[in-house]
Amino acid sequence: MASSTSIDFTEKEKKQYIVVNIGEEQYGIDISFIDNIVKMCKITRVPKVQDYFKGIINLRGEIVPVMSIRTKMGLENDEYTKTTRIIILKLEAGMIGIVVDAVKEVVALSEDEIDRTAQSSKANANFINGIGKNGEELISLLDLSAVVDASIVA
Amino acid sequence: MDVSQYLDVFIDETSEHMQNLSDCIMALENDPDDKDTINEIFRAAHSLKGMAGTMGFKRMQHLTHDMEDMFQEVRNDNIKVTSEMIDILFECLDAIEGYADNIKASSDEGTEDNQVLIDKLNAFLNGEAGASSDAPAEAPAEEAPAEAEADSSESDDMKFKKIELGDAERDAIKAAEDAGKSIYGMTVYINESCLLKAARAFLVFKAVEDFGEILVYSPSSQDIEDEKFDFDFSMYIAIDGSIEDVAKEAKDVSEIEKVVYGQVTYNELLMQAVEEEEAAAKEEEPKETPSEEPKAEVAVAKEEPKAAPAPAASASNNNANAKKAAAKPVTSRTVRVDIEKLDALMNQVSELIIAKNSLVSLSSGEDGQSSQTFHDQIEYLERITTSLHESVMKVRMVPIESVVNKFPRMIRDLSRQLGKKMELYMSGEETELDRTVVDQIGDPLQHLLRNSADHGLESAELRAERGKPEVGTIYLNAYQEGNNVIIEVGDDGNGIDTERVKSKAIERGIVSADAAENLSQKEIIDFLFMPSFSMAKQITDISGRGVGLDVVKSNIEALGGDVEVKSTLGEGSKFTVRLPLTLAIIQALMVEVRDEKFAIALGSIMTIESVPQSDIKYVQAKEVLHLRGMVIPIIRLDEVLDSEPLEDKPEILTVVIVKKGDRCAGLVVDNLMGQQEIVIKSLGHYINNNKIISGATILGDGEVALILDTNQMF
Repeated sequence: MASSTSIDFTEKEKKQYIVVNIGEEQYGIDISFIDNIVKMCKITRVPKVQDYFKGIINLRGEIVPVMSIRTKMGLENDEYTKTTRIIILKLEAGMIGIVVDAVKEVVALSEDEIDRTAQSSKANANFINGIGKNGEELISLLDLSAVVDASIVA
Repeated sequence: MDVSQYLDVFIDETSEHMQNLSDCIMALENDPDDKDTINEIFRAAHSLKGMAGTMGFKRMQHLTHDMEDMFQEVRNDNIKVTSEMIDILFECLDAIEGYADNIKASSDEGTEDNQVLIDKLNAFLNGEAGASSDAPAEAPAEEAPAEAEADSSESDDMKFKKIELGDAERDAIKAAEDAGKSIYGMTVYINESCLLKAARAFLVFKAVEDFGEILVYSPSSQDIEDEKFDFDFSMYIAIDGSIEDVAKEAKDVSEIEKVVYGQVTYNELLMQAVEEEEAAAKEEEPKETPSEEPKAEVAVAKEEPKAAPAPAASASNNNANAKKAAAKPVTSRTVRVDIEKLDALMNQVSELIIAKNSLVSLSSGEDGQSSQTFHDQIEYLERITTSLHESVMKVRMVPIESVVNKFPRMIRDLSRQLGKKMELYMSGEETELDRTVVDQIGDPLQHLLRNSADHGLESAELRAERGKPEVGTIYLNAYQEGNNVIIEVGDDGNGIDTERVKSKAIERGIVSADAAENLSQKEIIDFLFMPSFSMAKQITDISGRGVGLDVVKSNIEALGGDVEVKSTLGEGSKFTVRLPLTLAIIQALMVEVRDEKFAIALGSIMTIESVPQSDIKYVQAKEVLHLRGMVIPIIRLDEVLDSEPLEDKPEILTVVIVKKGDRCAGLVVDNLMGQQEIVIKSLGHYINNNKIISGATILGDGEVALILDTNQMF
């Protein structure tokens, strides 16, 4: 995360987001939940689990489950390319990885640059909690608990 | 003084004493005349009282005090042990446990006075004691000789005489004497098993200060507060009143073995300073024999304040008792370790094993010619890590005793509640399991036992009709089998009426009447493990509320185990709980299905067979293998695991025969990779726990393999 040095000077009230590509859209992920970003590696399939789980990976000796956000949103299957990355999120229930098509940049958004009411495309409506405006570009901010929560089992 | 730092010790010790009490009271009921047991009970109750008092838990102290009174009477043969009395005592234990739980939760004993219970105790005590009113009078007399005996050695016990006084201290004594006060020397002996010496000393000082002034401490008060003293300390006090009262107060502090005292005057002290050196030489010799005495005295003379000197008679009579008291179990040399530290240690061992595995795969993967010494060293490393792992595992192992030893009491209670006669037989209490498993196995086992007591055993009339002994048998057997620990809970009761279960299942709409006809006995019994499926005709306190076997099952499965039932109608039923011995690292066979690797715990594997496809037969449209007289169902792992189907079926199948109890199954795999020590890692909370996969492990080359739980495939 070399880019993080360049944004050390941002104002305090701004939140940093990592902008990723999933399909045509750009999504922002709150940087405070991100543990790590790793290149695509071998994902071990686990039979008989929820369909959006691609499997598990070995992240430096830890077993981390990886889910496909595309499957979860009902998009077509992931295609792994050179730019595909697994974003490792550190949440209360443990670490979990999500597959994204590419990682673009880090942006800092203040609350007035975020539109909390706007609707995005239907497919992901449930998974975002706002749209950030970074200059001309629009970034859908992922509601991580919604993305992940539904998959937590008792 | 702040006692909160002692709270942990207090809680630990309380539960130890409670367990001890419970065991002993059970034993007492069976053998009401056993003096050893009564003494043991008395000691435990007394310690409890003392501890509660020290920590300032007044209500708890009050209750235990009254219990102690009861035991005192029993010990003096003034009242007889009856089952009503045992009932009351158990109620008291429950109440104390309530206090202890409150204290654990909030460092406070709560506000329940348990006055009803105390009244009951006292009523019982008075009722019984009144009936034999002449007896109590005798009791103190009997104890007198013990006092006398102690007295003979008292001069040596009066360590205060040896306090070396500075000028300032002598002046203080003189000043007090001039003021018309009596000066006494006092030496207090603390029970050697006492853990809170400083706290005891503090209480003694506090008690004494109510009467007068403490002039001299030995060791210094600072040292006493820091626990820098053995098991006795001395002081000089200046008082107005009677020294007996002071001594009694001091003695009433718990875990104080005895208090010796004597009057001194300033002049004596001066003289003594001169004589001291000569005396020291002389006293060496007579000291040897009586040095054992203070301890021995606990059991026989604890209650009485030091009486006036009495003739030193019948010492031999007391010696027998004295020895028993002295022969306390030697405390084992142990260290209490935070379970988290052990977990951390375990994790590090796991890391080490993963690192070792990658070295092993490196050394075997290369040209094979790499130097011989390298291989030797790797093997050496392997041996070390394996034994290190074993040692760490052993540290985490505790006997299940700590869980099961509360069951006899529970069965006794149930027996009274249900009005059925029953006896619990336990074996294998020493069987060891991982600490985390032991902590969680209590509830499920308790549930199974209740189930046996309530549903299993028939009423007395029915038992008589069936020609069974009047007293029902419930048993709990634990033993180790391979990598598993088996705990069997069963009874000689009615057994499971599968017809009734079946009709109930149909009634509930769980299964259609037609389908029910084809169900096997086992499938029917499995209904019992479904949520909210209660068979009790009447809902009782004990069971039948529908939260039952399903909870047992899920609890046990959460621990990586499973539960099975065998039952014969009219003869009884047996629940077999199977638990993994270890939770972290196991020996496993690595197998391949297509290009995916899976681990199967070695402990569950019986044999591995190469079987021609033609040997596979069909029974009820299911594949089976006829092997050495056994018919073994065949499970195609590729189908179970949704692997890609194979285009052409191989002629020879590799079949891993796994067992669960006395049943077997053959798992068809593509390839065997060999045996390996694997570290079990959880799949985490996100992945929907499918039961065939019990976890994952990281192989030497960093690849992830899934661990198959073969127990789930039966």
